[in-house]
Amino acid sequence: MDNGDQALIRLQGVTKVFVTDEVETHALSGIQLQIQKGEYLSIAGPSGCGKSTLLAILGLLDTPTDGTYTLNGRPVSGLKLSERARIRNREIGFIFQAFNLIGDLTVYENVELPLTYRGMPSAERKRRVQESLERVGMSHRMKHYPSQLSGGQQQRVAVARALAGDPLILLADEPTGNLDSANGEAVMNLLKDLHRNGATICMVTHDPRYARFADRTIKLFDGRIVEESVESAVTN
Amino acid sequence: MRSLLGDMRYGFRLLRKRPAFSLIAVLALALGIGANTAIFSVVDAVLLRPLPYADSGRLVALWERSPQLEDGSVAYLNFLDWKAQSRVFESLAARQGANFNLTGQEEPERLNGANVSAEFFPLLGVQPLLGRVFRADEDRAGAKKVAVISYGLWQRRFHGDEGILGRAIDLDGAPFTVIGVLPAKFRDPAYAERVDVYAAIGRDADRLQNRGNHPGIYVVGRLKPGETLAQARAEMDLIAQRLERQYPATNSGRRVAVQLLQDRLVRDLRTALLVVLAAVGFVLLIGCANVANLLLARAAERQPEIALRAALGAGRWQLFRQLLAESLVLALAGGACGLLLGWWGMRGLLAVAPEDLPRFSEAAMNLRVLGFTLGLSLATGLVFGSVPAWQSAWGSLHDVLKESGRRVSGDLRRNRIRGLLVVGEVALSLVLLIGAGLMLRSFARVLAASPGFRAERVLTLQIDLPGTKYQKPDQWIQFFQQVLGRTRNLPGVLSAATILPVPVGGFGWQTGMRIEGREYPTPHDSDLTDIAYVTPDYFQTMGIPLRRGRVFTEQDREGALPVAVIDEKLARTYFPDADPMGKRLAIGGKNWQIVGVVGHVKNYGVDQESRVETYLPFYQSPRPAMSLVVRTTMDPAQLAGPIRGEVRQVDPNQAVSDVRTMERLVADSVAPKRISALLLGIFAAIAVLLAAVGLYGVISYTVAQRTREIGIRMALGAGGGDVLAMVVKQALALGGLGMAIGLGGAALLTRAMKGLLFGISAVDPLTFAAVPAALALVVLAACYLPARRATRIDPVTALRYE
Ligand SMILES: Nc1ncnc2c1ncn2[C@@H]1O[C@H](COP(=O)(O)OP(=O)(O)O)[C@@H](O)[C@H]1O
Ligand SMILES: [Mg+2]
Repeated sequence: MDNGDQALIRLQGVTKVFVTDEVETHALSGIQLQIQKGEYLSIAGPSGCGKSTLLAILGLLDTPTDGTYTLNGRPVSGLKLSERARIRNREIGFIFQAFNLIGDLTVYENVELPLTYRGMPSAERKRRVQESLERVGMSHRMKHYPSQLSGGQQQRVAVARALAGDPLILLADEPTGNLDSANGEAVMNLLKDLHRNGATICMVTHDPRYARFADRTIKLFDGRIVEESVESAVTN
Repeated sequence: MRSLLGDMRYGFRLLRKRPAFSLIAVLALALGIGANTAIFSVVDAVLLRPLPYADSGRLVALWERSPQLEDGSVAYLNFLDWKAQSRVFESLAARQGANFNLTGQEEPERLNGANVSAEFFPLLGVQPLLGRVFRADEDRAGAKKVAVISYGLWQRRFHGDEGILGRAIDLDGAPFTVIGVLPAKFRDPAYAERVDVYAAIGRDADRLQNRGNHPGIYVVGRLKPGETLAQARAEMDLIAQRLERQYPATNSGRRVAVQLLQDRLVRDLRTALLVVLAAVGFVLLIGCANVANLLLARAAERQPEIALRAALGAGRWQLFRQLLAESLVLALAGGACGLLLGWWGMRGLLAVAPEDLPRFSEAAMNLRVLGFTLGLSLATGLVFGSVPAWQSAWGSLHDVLKESGRRVSGDLRRNRIRGLLVVGEVALSLVLLIGAGLMLRSFARVLAASPGFRAERVLTLQIDLPGTKYQKPDQWIQFFQQVLGRTRNLPGVLSAATILPVPVGGFGWQTGMRIEGREYPTPHDSDLTDIAYVTPDYFQTMGIPLRRGRVFTEQDREGALPVAVIDEKLARTYFPDADPMGKRLAIGGKNWQIVGVVGHVKNYGVDQESRVETYLPFYQSPRPAMSLVVRTTMDPAQLAGPIRGEVRQVDPNQAVSDVRTMERLVADSVAPKRISALLLGIFAAIAVLLAAVGLYGVISYTVAQRTREIGIRMALGAGGGDVLAMVVKQALALGGLGMAIGLGGAALLTRAMKGLLFGISAVDPLTFAAVPAALALVVLAACYLPARRATRIDPVTALRYE
């Protein structure tokens, strides 16, 4: 709280209410949260407690019903749609539980996709795509289509895609949810490596085994933060 | 195992459950089938149905042809020689259009009639309803005057009285004994107009003894069984050459044209009809592609159900049959609605068609047309139904069960088919649009083209003086001078004149002329010119400009120097360097001195070839039959009554006919072009609409299918513009491919329209550039809504559904 000014992400009193068929769902209520640069935060909690909603708001895919969100010192609530798309593209990297690679595009093209939306020259794109595929150990599969890869490989490509744009923060929503434990472990190790090299990561998981990879874990219950714990000695 | 009928009943139930889908599909089919039904009813009447004569396939038309004249009428003596010398025909008959004034009744009436030789009715295989037809001895010079009348005239003027046989009626002031009444369904083979009275041509044989005279006689022949058109042509060629040697003065260069009577009647209508028929075929194909697309989308939805049926033991053929049965139900529903639309369209078509298009009016919803529509509907159902049905029944069912809900390989294949269908639709509609564009541009040229006179506010009507009452040329001159004088005094009349034949009236007269100072190879050679007889005010009344010299005056009469006015085309053609003024033309054994040059007139319609023209003064070359032309200050049609009144003042028994405005005459002369431009325009509009709907459907469907992908892209930072561009690009790719194919197709197919175009080429660059540009706008419009929907996809929702 005290060094809030340097926080990469700052949520104050963020609330999200969904209204469907005249039923109000309070997905998030009065969330206060800060994420520092270089931090690895893990969000845990039972299904339906609002984890994905929180991540969507952090990723500017959704807007809070109430409260303020400051990203890198800049309030983002009032931004135009095109501005939000620009920020998603340049400052945020998404990793999804369902991988969400585009089936009609090759591995290379999938990783390249966010760069094309910036209008980056193709030589530069090529360099970055190769670099990030190398970082996840998938550069030998550039010409493949997602359907030709295993789940673990697909998720590594998804991580490469999130990295390629050199974002301020990686947002991962249950990245191991669709993977067996061996592959899940591998992806978690990959994220850990990235974190060691300076990446800021915010990851949703309800698997306590993976929470220990993070510096800090918050627990959500019914749209509220109910517990906050800092991993210290365990990782050593 | 269920029967096909059972399948269809089930299909009907499914369609009722999806009213919106069914309505759109049935509508698309009904438009296509309806357009085809309407056009087919006309094609059937005009091109397919045999002429209403016994064994009509053996009937041919014969006429004279020379280098200057493609389509000349036949000299009576030539006809007699053909008849005597030819072997391939069972018989030959002469027919000369003629008009008769029927008098002696309450109201004089001018009747359309014909002089025919005795062979005419037996050759056509026509039995009279009452009495008999002409005998050979009645078809001779000096024979007793007899007439055969139509059923219509018999009913209209003689109240169906059987006592008419043997009675005399007054035709052109002379008594003709009625010897027969024709059956109600008899149609004259000239087809142009209702023909009410026939007389024997031979009674005037004395006046037809000049072989150089071609008095509007056309010949009908019946081939002997087994003889061919080619044989007839070869034989008539030999006969023509023989006559040429025998009568070089009149027959040099003259040949005989022989054509099947049916083809001769239809002429350029055939191309127009076939082009329009192709157009509606395209419309139907586009409709089919649309419905096939709808069915493919539905098949995707129903894949799990079908997989389940297969899992429960349904054979592939059974599945195929069931899916096809649904399509047939759709097609038959479309056919039923199409029949209604078609009937309505046919009525509309007949309403806008001018009366004298041959056989048009015979179009009807008969059994053949009904059969055509039924067959077309079934074929349509097979065409658009079998692809999706095949796809569903033979697609990989295994995948569907295993990965239900997830993307399966069948989707990709279906998408490709859907894309191809839309490409086809765009291609076909571009061909149609270009065809319509060419027709419209050509028609605009026709409308803009001047006939050579100012048609607005001019009334024309025809007066034929009966030779029995008005025997001397002086009487003719006197009559028309009186009528003209009285007409000029009517309020609202600016000027009045007479001419024969009236321009754009459907026929012209040509005559041979020898031009002073021009070399001719033999004394029998001459040049051909259109000829017309006019009173002095004619050029002023019609607004035909005087280029040089003077027009006729009241002083150019009998006894004065014979004078002629030529048109600028004649002046250009035959006096390219010399001055035509004062030169003389030898026409009909007299020398006429050229005193003036006037503007050229498109005598046969603005879109038709025209010839060089010579005018002679009515007063120096009087005729008993003339057309009045009257320029007015008001709506010319309102003057018809007053002018009739003035004619009756001069002679109460004199009939007036063919009362029309010149504007109407000009419009009618381009009716086939107007109708085909109109039809092609309508059908192209329908085609584009259907193609746009098809494109809209496919783009909407893919946007829906790609919702998740679009969500992913948005999460990765795609802005609204990127998403919009992605959708539009897909539409433009499909549309662009379709247009490329369509442009190629149009370049090939529009060649068939060459004969219908006027003033532009079949690959007119402006049309070929502007139409695709317009269609590209339609493509953009069709994808606008789905594209906008795509930009409004909420990425959270799109990604949530896992
Ligand atoms: N678009 C939406 N419309 C309505 N309710 C929603 C929507 N998105 C999420 N919710 C509701 O909000 C709550 C939190 O959802 P979510 O953030 O997906 O939970 P988690 O990811 O922790 O499982 C749930 O009750 C869910 O049903
Ligand atoms: Mg979740």
